[in-house]
Amino acid sequence: MTTWLLVGTVVLGAVALWLLLPRGRKAGRRIGAVLGAVALGMLLGSLPPLGGWFAQGLFWLLAAVTLGSAACAVSFRNPVYCAVWFGLTLFGTAGLLFFQGAQFLGAATIIIYAGAILVTLLFVLMLANPRGQAAYDRRAWEAPLAATVGVVLLGLFSTGFFSTLKAMPEETPAQAAAEKRQPPGKYPVSALGAELFSRHLVAVEVAGTLLLAALAGAVAVVAQHAQREQQEPRPAAPGQPTRPQRELTVR
Amino acid sequence: MFSLDVLLLLVVASPLAAAVVTAALGPRLLRQRSHLPALLAVALSLAAAVGLAWQWAKQLPALPAQEHHAGQATAEHTQEGKHDAAGDHYLGREHVLLLWRWAAVQGAWGTAPFVVDVALRVDTLTCLMLLVVNLVGLLVVIYSVGYMHDDPGYWRYFSYVALFVFSMNMLVSVSNFLLLYVFWEAVGLCSYLLIGFWYQRPAAADAGKKAFLVNRVGDFGFALGVFLLWSALGTLNFHDTVLADGQVAPGVLGQHWLSMPVPYGGAWGSRTAVVVACLLLFVGACGKSAQFPLHVWLPDAMEGPTPVSALIHAATMVTAGVYLVVRAAPMFLVSQSAHLVVAAIGGLTALMAAFIALTQTDLKRVLAYSTVSQLGYMFLALGTASFAGLVAGMFHLFTHAFFKALLFLGAGSVMHAMGGVIDMNRFGGLRRRLPLTYWTFLLGALALAGVAPLAGFWSKDAVLAAVHARALENPLGEGYLYLTLYYVGLIAALMTAFYTFRAVFLTFHGEERIPEEAHGHAHEGPWWMTVPLVLLAVGAAGAGLLGGVVTPWLQHTPSLAFAARLTGTGHHGFHWDVAALSTAMALGGMALAAWFYLAQRELVRSLAETFRAAMLYQLSYGKLFLDEIYTVMVVIPLRVLGWVLFILDQFLIDGLVNLVGHLVRALGGLFRPLQTGLVQFYALAMLLGLLVLLASLLRWPLG
Amino acid sequence: MNEHALWLGYQVVGAALVALGIVGFLARRNLIVMFLAVEMMLQGVALSLVGWGRYHGTLDGQVLVLFVLTVAACEAALAMALALMLFQRRGHLDTAACFRLHEPGQEAQLVEEVSPEGELEEPEPEPAWPHLPPAGVEPQRDPEQEAYRSHV
Repeated sequence: MTTWLLVGTVVLGAVALWLLLPRGRKAGRRIGAVLGAVALGMLLGSLPPLGGWFAQGLFWLLAAVTLGSAACAVSFRNPVYCAVWFGLTLFGTAGLLFFQGAQFLGAATIIIYAGAILVTLLFVLMLANPRGQAAYDRRAWEAPLAATVGVVLLGLFSTGFFSTLKAMPEETPAQAAAEKRQPPGKYPVSALGAELFSRHLVAVEVAGTLLLAALAGAVAVVAQHAQREQQEPRPAAPGQPTRPQRELTVR
Repeated sequence: MFSLDVLLLLVVASPLAAAVVTAALGPRLLRQRSHLPALLAVALSLAAAVGLAWQWAKQLPALPAQEHHAGQATAEHTQEGKHDAAGDHYLGREHVLLLWRWAAVQGAWGTAPFVVDVALRVDTLTCLMLLVVNLVGLLVVIYSVGYMHDDPGYWRYFSYVALFVFSMNMLVSVSNFLLLYVFWEAVGLCSYLLIGFWYQRPAAADAGKKAFLVNRVGDFGFALGVFLLWSALGTLNFHDTVLADGQVAPGVLGQHWLSMPVPYGGAWGSRTAVVVACLLLFVGACGKSAQFPLHVWLPDAMEGPTPVSALIHAATMVTAGVYLVVRAAPMFLVSQSAHLVVAAIGGLTALMAAFIALTQTDLKRVLAYSTVSQLGYMFLALGTASFAGLVAGMFHLFTHAFFKALLFLGAGSVMHAMGGVIDMNRFGGLRRRLPLTYWTFLLGALALAGVAPLAGFWSKDAVLAAVHARALENPLGEGYLYLTLYYVGLIAALMTAFYTFRAVFLTFHGEERIPEEAHGHAHEGPWWMTVPLVLLAVGAAGAGLLGGVVTPWLQHTPSLAFAARLTGTGHHGFHWDVAALSTAMALGGMALAAWFYLAQRELVRSLAETFRAAMLYQLSYGKLFLDEIYTVMVVIPLRVLGWVLFILDQFLIDGLVNLVGHLVRALGGLFRPLQTGLVQFYALAMLLGLLVLLASLLRWPLG
Repeated sequence: MNEHALWLGYQVVGAALVALGIVGFLARRNLIVMFLAVEMMLQGVALSLVGWGRYHGTLDGQVLVLFVLTVAACEAALAMALALMLFQRRGHLDTAACFRLHEPGQEAQLVEEVSPEGELEEPEPEPAWPHLPPAGVEPQRDPEQEAYRSHV
C-alpha cells in the first residue's frame, strides 16, 4: 500500500468519523456517511486479492457489514440504537469467524456476545433510561481529537502489517506444516474441544471459576447497594429527583 | 625524704583534687565547711613547694664567680652544673618529669612530626613562682573564709579558687609551650568564673566576659607565636629530649641550642622570624598581664570578690605574662629588637596607668590601675634584655605579690566593714575604727611607694637601676630610648606614691564618715581576715631583703643563665644615685598627697577645676576613654557585621532554601493538569503514548 | 486461497474494529456506549487472533479467543452491575461529569460549557405511545419509590 493511499484513507476516515460523531447538530452526517464509505472502500481495496471471486466478494461483504455497523454503533445518538448496531457488528464478526473456519467461535460469538452480553447491556440501558434523550448522548467529548487518534492508530497498525507482509516468507507455516501432518479435521469443533481439554485444561477450569466469581460478585455488588440504601434513606424529598453535583441540561 | 618528682606532683595535684572534691561534695555535704579541702590542699601545696625549693637548693652547684660577656670565659668549673661546648659557661640546671606522651603525629609533606609530651619541670624560676603562688594563695584562702562567710555560693568559690591554684601551678611547672597555652587558657577561664562569681549582677557578668574576650585577643597572638615556634624549631618542648638511639631532640630553651656559639644555630632562618615570634608571645603576655592596649579588662575585673582580686589580679595570674617573657628570654635576647617593644610598652603602660589612677574614686580601681602600672615596671625591666633587668623584673614580681595582695586584702577589709561600699567619696577617717587594717594598709602603701627598707624600695630600685645601666651601655641609639624610659619610670614612681597616699588619706584620715550600708558593723573582720593581713605585712616588709638570695638563685635557671652568659651579671653593688632619686620621688609624692588630702582639701577642688578646664582631669578620670574608643572601633563594627550577616542569612540563605521548595512545587504544578479526573482524558493520554511507541517501533521496518 | 492476503485482511479488519472502538470510547460520554466500544475492541482482537491462528495452522488462536470471550462475559456482568449502581447513585450516566478524583484546581469543565458547537440539536420527539387499558391488576405503586427513582 502506497503511502499516499494510506494517508488519504486516514484523512478521509478521520473527517468522516468527525462528521459522523454526535456533535450537537444534525448537519454533515450524510456527507460523513458518504466519506466513510469511500474511506472504507479504499481500505478494503488496498488489500491484496484473496484468490477466488466468491471468497473475495464474501470477505468484502462481511467486512463491509462489520465495519459499517461498527461505525454506526459508535455514532448514533440513541444508545439503544448503538446497541442494536453493535449486534449487527457481532453478526458480521461471526460471519468472518465462520469464514476462517472457526465455526465454534462464530457460534459462540453470537450466543454469548449477542445473546448474553448485548442483552445485559440493553437491560441496563433500559433501566437507566433517561426520560428524554440525554444531552450527554448528543454531544461527544473531543470529537475531532478522538477521530484523529483512532484513525492514526489504524494507519500505524496498517503500516506495520503491510511491512510485515513484505518480510514474511513465501510459505506460511500452516502450509509448511500441512505437508507434514494431517490438516485440521473435518470436524474442527471436535478438534478444538480436544485441544482445549487436553493442553488447556487448567485454563478452562480457571475460566469456569472466574465466571462463577463474576456471577457472585455481580450479585454481591447489587445486594450490598440495596442493603445500604435501605439503611440510609436518601435525603432527597419525594418529588425531588436526585441531582448530580452540577446542573446538567437534559433536553 | 620525698623525691623531687613526688613533691612536684603533690604541688600540682592537690589543688586539683580539692577542686573536684569541693565541686562534688560542696553543695550537699560540706556547705559551710567547703573551705576545708581547698585550705588543706593549698597548705599541702605550699609545704610541698617549700620542700621542693629546699631539695632543689641542696642540689644546686656553686655559681661561677662572675660571668662576663661571651668571649671572656671564666676559669671556674664545677662538678654538677652543665656546661656548654667550650666547657666554660654555666648553663643552669633543670629537672624534667615526663608524665605521659599526649600526642605523636607523623609528619607529612616534609613537616616535622608533631609530638607533645606532658612534662613538668623543676628549676629555680619554677620554684620561685610556685612559692609565690602557693603562699599568696594560702593566705587568700584563709582570708576568704572570713570574707565570703555568708555567701550562698560558698562551695563554688572555693572550688574555683582551688582550680585556679592548680592551673597556675601547672602553668609555671610545665615544660612545653602547648601545655603552657593550655593552662594559660585555664587560668583565664578561672578568672572569668571568679570575676563573674556573682553572675546575677549584670556588671559582674559583663566584666567576666570582657576579661575573657580581651584575653582572647592576647591568646590569639600567643597561639600564632606557638605556631611560628613549631614551624621554625620543630618542637614545643622547653627541654632537650634524649631519644632512644642516643640522639638529642633539642628543646626550644634547652641546652642544646642555648649552648651554641650562635644561639639556635641557623634554626630560626631569618631574624624577622625570631622578632615576629617574640612579639607574638608578647602580645599574649600583654593580654594576660594587662598591658596597653589590652589592659582594659583589669579595672572591670574588680567586680569580683576582693580576695579574688588579690590573688588573681595582683599576685599571680597577671604575672603569668612576666613569667612567659622571662622563660622565653633567650629568644628575646637573640631577637635584637623585640625587647625594645617590650620596654616601650612597659614604660608607657606604667605611666599611663599611674595617670589614670590619680583621679579614680573607687579604692579597688585605684589598686587595679596600680597593678597595671607595676606590671608595666616589670616589663620595662624585662625589656632591657639584660640579666640584671630580667632578675629585677622577677624580683619586683616577687615583692609586688606581697604588698599588692596586702593592699587588696586591706581594701577588702574596708569593704567588708563598710557593707560593700568601696567608693572613697562615701567614707573616710576609718583609722580609729579599723586600726589593724590601717596599719597594714599603710605598710603596704609605703612598700608600694618604694620607701626603704620595705620591699618595694629594693625591687623598684633594681628595676630602675637596670634600665639606667642599659641606657648607659649604649648612649647613642637605643640608649636614648632607655634613658627616656628611665625618666618615665621616675615620674611614674612619683605618681605612684601620690595616688597611693591619696587613697590612704581619703580612706583612713579626715573626718569619720560611715555609709548607711555599714549597718553599724563597721569594725574589723574575724581573725580569718586579720591574720593574713599581718602575715602579708611581714612579707611586704621583709621580702626586699631577700634580694641577695633571689638574684643568684635565679641564675640557675637555664633561660637566665643564658642571659647571664650573653650580657653579664651586671654591676654588683648598690646604686646610690638611683636609690636617691627614687626615694626623692617617693617622698615627694607622699608629701604632695599629704598636702592635698590631709591639709588643704579645698585646694584639691580648685586644682581639679583648673585641670578640668585643661581636660586633663577628664582624661584621667575617663580612663583615657579607651573603652569608648574600643567600642567604636571594634564592638560596633562587629555588631553591624552581625546584623548584615543576619540579613544575608534570612534573605539569601533562607531564600535559597525556600527557592528549592518552590521549585519542587512548581515542577509538581507542571504535571498537575494531567489529573483532571476524566476517564476519557486518561484514555486519550494512554493512547497518545501508544501512538508514539508504535511510531518509534515502526521506524525499523520502514527504514 | 492466498493465505497471506487472508492473514492481512483479517489483521486490517481487526485493527479497524479496534480503531473504531477507540474512537467510540473516547468520543461518547454515555457509560454503556463506552462499554460497548470496549467490547468492539475485543471483537477486533478476536479477529486478529483468529487470523494469526490460521496463519500458523494451529488452534491456539481460537483457544485464546475463547478465553477472551469468557473474560469478556465476566467483565460485562460486573460492569453492568456497577453501571447500574452508579446510575442509581448519581442519576445519570455521563462520564464527562464525573471528575471528582482530580487535583485541586484542575477541575475539568463540562462539555456543555466549553463546546463551541452551538445549539444542541433537538432530540427526536418521543413517539406517541398508545394508551392501553390496564390489563389485569396494577402492581402496588409505592409513591415514595416512584418519586425516589430519579427522573432526569
